[in-house]
Amino acid sequence: MKVLMIFDQIQAGMGGKEKADIPLGGKKGEIGSVPMIKPHLNDVDGKIIACLYCGDEYFEKNQDEVSKKMVSMVKKLNPDVVICGPAYNYKGYAHMSAHLGKELSEKTDIPVIAAMSKENKDIISKYKNSVNIVKMPRKGGIGLNKSLKNICVLAQKMVNGEDIKELKKDICY
Amino acid sequence: MFDRLEKVLMPTADKLGKNKTLVAIRDGFLISTPLIIVGSLFLLIANFPIPGWSEFWARFFGEGWESYLSNVARATFDVISLLTVIGVGYSYAREIEADKIQGAIVAIVSFIILMPTSITYEGAGGIESLTAINFSFIGTNGIFLAMVVSILSVSIFSWAYKKGWTIKMPKGVPPAVADSFAALIPSAMVMFVFFLLRIVFELTPYESAHNFIYTVLQAPLMGAGNSLGAQIIYVVSSSVFWFFGINGPAVTNTVFSPIFRTLSIENLQAFEAGSPLPHIYTGQFVDLFQTFGGGGSTLSLVIIMMLFCKSKRITQLGKLSIVPGIFGINEPIIFGLPIVLNPIMIIPFIGVPFMNTVLSAIAFETGFLPYTNGVALPWTTPLGFSGYLSTGSLKASLVQVVLVILGCIVYYPFIKMLDKTYLKDEQYQSEEDELEDISFDNLSMKDL
Repeated sequence: MKVLMIFDQIQAGMGGKEKADIPLGGKKGEIGSVPMIKPHLNDVDGKIIACLYCGDEYFEKNQDEVSKKMVSMVKKLNPDVVICGPAYNYKGYAHMSAHLGKELSEKTDIPVIAAMSKENKDIISKYKNSVNIVKMPRKGGIGLNKSLKNICVLAQKMVNGEDIKELKKDICY
Repeated sequence: MFDRLEKVLMPTADKLGKNKTLVAIRDGFLISTPLIIVGSLFLLIANFPIPGWSEFWARFFGEGWESYLSNVARATFDVISLLTVIGVGYSYAREIEADKIQGAIVAIVSFIILMPTSITYEGAGGIESLTAINFSFIGTNGIFLAMVVSILSVSIFSWAYKKGWTIKMPKGVPPAVADSFAALIPSAMVMFVFFLLRIVFELTPYESAHNFIYTVLQAPLMGAGNSLGAQIIYVVSSSVFWFFGINGPAVTNTVFSPIFRTLSIENLQAFEAGSPLPHIYTGQFVDLFQTFGGGGSTLSLVIIMMLFCKSKRITQLGKLSIVPGIFGINEPIIFGLPIVLNPIMIIPFIGVPFMNTVLSAIAFETGFLPYTNGVALPWTTPLGFSGYLSTGSLKASLVQVVLVILGCIVYYPFIKMLDKTYLKDEQYQSEEDELEDISFDNLSMKDL
């Protein structure tokens, strides 16, 4: 299973809040926070082929451009599944994850998963019908490991075309 | 092993994090934190650790110029119990969804009901008494009572309120007026309870609630907290929680911060009075000697990443994180390296703060360093400077620098392990595929 991750600057290991204006970029292979999710991806035979990233402020200011470019880059790299997140309670990143998740779902056939904490309730209620949003704790909250596992299990089922209705009830918003 | 540890730690963190009383106490203290910092700075200027400082300024402002500054200091940490009672009352009301400002004032009124309000003194005509509040009841000695009273009074208030024992005003009465009538019966109940409590305490050998709580709660807890053992439990568990992605200090502070803070303020009061400083293991010990650059003492790690690592991924993150690191922010490292769920990096992440704690404790216990003066420095005060200001000794700055260097040595083998793996990845990828970086500039218009 070929996995593509979409990160903000913090999860990409490109700096903190002060780097929110970095434009979109990417690496083939693993960057930043990948080691957190990697053991769970291994469990479902997932391998990260690329990580794309964008500063959350840059996204906010250039939504159309970023969305278009992300969609076409994902098409070009052609992964089996895209994971937008984990976005914790970072509001900018959560918005980016949900929005890109929706765009990718509409414009490609590739399964997409977003993940964020319940603090982003406006974003969740706006996007949850367009993209599967996995529940996760806020930054520094409890249950991170479990939610990373949930993301990977859902990813595998979506890729295999299995029925995810029951699972979704449990782990998604 | 990590799975088993997780099974033990998750419920603990969950319980502590959701315990409304502990959260209210922790957050209640946060309300007075900025005031304590500002008050401390006034005190620091009055007693700056340079010989001849006082005499120098006396030439311009006259003898006793410090008393103007001390007045401001006194208005903050000498009345810390009042600030605590308001802060905790307010945040506990928030936690249990009661009226916040009513909670705060009902708490302070209850606190004062319990307080001895007469001071006896030897007057010209024998023993006389005067109606007054003794500062010793509203300073550090009253902190734990303040917490207990806030929680108790707000609980009673909210209980009565939610029972519906309120005076309801007809529609059309302005909300401010209606609210104040609604609070009447609950307030009366709280005040009556504390009125009885005061009488009960006067009948006991303790004579006052202050004395009682101080003796049975505050003194034993502070004794236990003022120890190397408590510090080690605090610092190790703070780091371990981070491994699981849980903000460690946010959990551990629910238990420890009232104790550490009280110890700090006791030192601060001694500093103000010019008497010997009583405690080693203060909040300052935690803030200024345990970790540098954020949890896990990651400043040392960032220095190594920047100077001694070779993979692009690590050196770049090191460079980006050094400036935030100097000011104690390490989010880019915690999630970007990452530290969270990283079984290699968690070892030094626990080990370095542990080492700092033990070595600093030795430096203080042996008398190499003078005790910390309790001055609450803004947490962005740079390393070295903060050691000097908090002890008045340059040796403390030296200890801080040495600890950062030792931290670098401990982090070195671990980050190098990671560095080698990443370097191999990078080389492998660049052989396999010339363009490791994905460039969005090469997308053609028809792609979009």
